[in-house]
Amino acid sequence: MPFAQALREAGMAAFVAAMLAVPLVGFRLADTSTGLRIDTRFDWVAFGVGGVFLGRLLLGLLRGRGPGSGLRLDLPKLPSNAGTLFGAGLAIFAIVMPFTPMADRYVVELAITVLIYVMLGWGLNIVVGLAGLLDLGYVAFYAVGAYSYALFAIHFGWSFWICLPIAGALAALFGVLLGFPVLRLRGDYLAIVTLGFGEMIRIVLLNWKEFSGGSAGLTSIPRPSFFGIQFTNNPDPGVIPFHEYFGLDFSPMQRITFLYYLIFALALATNFFTLRLRKLPIGRAWEALREDEIACRALGINPTNVKLSAFALGAMFGGFAGAFFATRQGFISPESFTFIESAVILAIVVLGGMGSQLGVVIAAGFLILVPELLREFSQYRMILFGLAMVLIMLWRPQGLVAHRDPSIRLGAAR
Amino acid sequence: MSLLTVEHLTIRFGGLVAVDDVGFSAEDGRITAIIGPNGAGKTTVFNCLTGFYKPDVGRMTMRRDGREYLLERMDGFRIAREAGLARTFQNIRLFPRMTALENLLVAQHNELHRASFHSLAGLLGLARYRSAEKMAVERAAAWLDRVGLTHAADDEAGSLPYGDQRRLEIARAMCAGPRVLCLDEPAAGLNPKESADLAALIRDIKAREKIAVLLIEHDMSVVMEISDHIVVLDHGAKIAEGTPDHVRADPAVIAAYLGTAEDAA
Ligand SMILES: Nc1ncnc2c1ncn2[C@@H]1O[C@H](COP(=O)(O)OP(=O)(O)OP(=O)(O)O)[C@@H](O)[C@H]1O
Ligand SMILES: [Mg+2]
Repeated sequence: MPFAQALREAGMAAFVAAMLAVPLVGFRLADTSTGLRIDTRFDWVAFGVGGVFLGRLLLGLLRGRGPGSGLRLDLPKLPSNAGTLFGAGLAIFAIVMPFTPMADRYVVELAITVLIYVMLGWGLNIVVGLAGLLDLGYVAFYAVGAYSYALFAIHFGWSFWICLPIAGALAALFGVLLGFPVLRLRGDYLAIVTLGFGEMIRIVLLNWKEFSGGSAGLTSIPRPSFFGIQFTNNPDPGVIPFHEYFGLDFSPMQRITFLYYLIFALALATNFFTLRLRKLPIGRAWEALREDEIACRALGINPTNVKLSAFALGAMFGGFAGAFFATRQGFISPESFTFIESAVILAIVVLGGMGSQLGVVIAAGFLILVPELLREFSQYRMILFGLAMVLIMLWRPQGLVAHRDPSIRLGAAR
Repeated sequence: MSLLTVEHLTIRFGGLVAVDDVGFSAEDGRITAIIGPNGAGKTTVFNCLTGFYKPDVGRMTMRRDGREYLLERMDGFRIAREAGLARTFQNIRLFPRMTALENLLVAQHNELHRASFHSLAGLLGLARYRSAEKMAVERAAAWLDRVGLTHAADDEAGSLPYGDQRRLEIARAMCAGPRVLCLDEPAAGLNPKESADLAALIRDIKAREKIAVLLIEHDMSVVMEISDHIVVLDHGAKIAEGTPDHVRADPAVIAAYLGTAEDAA
């Protein structure tokens, strides 16, 4: 890039940084004995703006021609089945993990959280990655699933395995409800409406106290049982708990391990279902819709059905994950379903490489584990997290796993 | 009665009359060309026929298998699915990140989706769906062969050379099983050799599939060589119509293409 242009860009960046830094960094409320006083810290602003200017200048000079070129991280070309092998390896690791020495309570709980996000990422991948519909309100379906499970389990005493399909079906229904008004929207407009939808669900849950308990949420949601056998140390009279049934000593790890395998199975089911659908006409229609809606119409495909099916199925998996979340926590409140959750799930899909199942796993691991590992630097945690995101998007704008496997090959199909 | 009859077709964009009282018809086993200078309204006629625009005035009737379809009242996707019009686009609209084969399978979506029993039979891997998919692949393979793209079956459509993309788009339209094939400037950007191959392909489609072909084209060597009937538009209105020889000799057509004295002024 010519020096003049780099200089101009650096100037622009410094200007933006200054606009942001003056109010955010430049002024500071100080609590003194005589009352509040405003201190100024313009030296800090100057350092920050100078840093941005130099950094941007350097970046501009390092880069070749055109935006983004030259600073790409080109992964070595891998054999075509590398993804499958890596995925299988991850799955085997996931199966044996609870029995390895590293598996204490903290680790397994963390792994459960990661798996919830993997499942959510896979669910959203249908909508965003395959069908190309930018959905910023995915957390709404997670909430619908969680509250359906909680309400049915609390009020009717139904078991997890009965409530799970109900939660999925209700979430799918909400998916269709959201789908109808946004059929004509694309891109940014769609994102804004779905964002609003997500907030609507949360605000209804927050304010409809008789129904959802309001901000206090729902408590004492039945914990999961091992196909009817409870995990508890003080069972009701006449009930045989899990550890007695299997002649073990009681340990809270038993329930946690069960939860771990439960979410692992649910996530895996989501994955296989999606992989299968991708090879069916509906899956190809989703991808075709993402590529070119006008061409789809011209080929006699009804875009309404295609979009609604993507919304419904994506939402259904969000609902399943929500039901699991509710039974795992035993307590839910609207706090758990804020916009930031939608943003994280979307980040997982985009970072992973839209449409890539393996990418979702890697990105979910990264996005959930990194903030966790950075807990010690808690005050810089979000900064480091943001920095990592920016760097990855600079290096690999197409996501970590950009490779797309054809759904069918001519040689293999005949 | 003709397969497709267009009468009094008129559409305005603000003050501009893009298509002005145009009528023509298309028959099975015939190539009908629509020609005219840039901005004459040719693509707009296609957009009306295939349901992307709703005309202000006019009637477009498709008669096939003893049924009548009034296209101006139908949704675009129904026109393709039920009336049987398939089209290509002036600026190619393939599914660029999908392979050539996948593009041709998407064109057969409705049949396949029905055979997969709205995905259920497909999910369970039932024989019924497997055989339907096999047939769809055979059909796609046959078309890949006819347009000379078998070698690129598993390549991303967006990565193919320009001329290949044009032919793939035609194959895709054919895989949708149309009775009327609408081609919008299929020879644009092709070299003379590719143009000649394309003319042969279109003629072959007409002869073997016995469907009606509507052809918008600027390349007069292609148009004059393969058309049975030519409709000439200028400023939205039909200024001439007839056989290639008839149209070529028409003074109004010559004037439209060369520009009359007052146009030039
Ligand atoms: N959606 C639209 N809105 C406004 N004007 C339009 C629209 N579509 C087409 N037009 C106008 O209608 C006229 C006819 O356009 P059309 O694309 O049909 O021309 P064409 O004959 O296909 O030309 P070309 O040979 O350049 O492809 C043009 O003046 C064009 O600007
Ligand atoms: Mg045109």
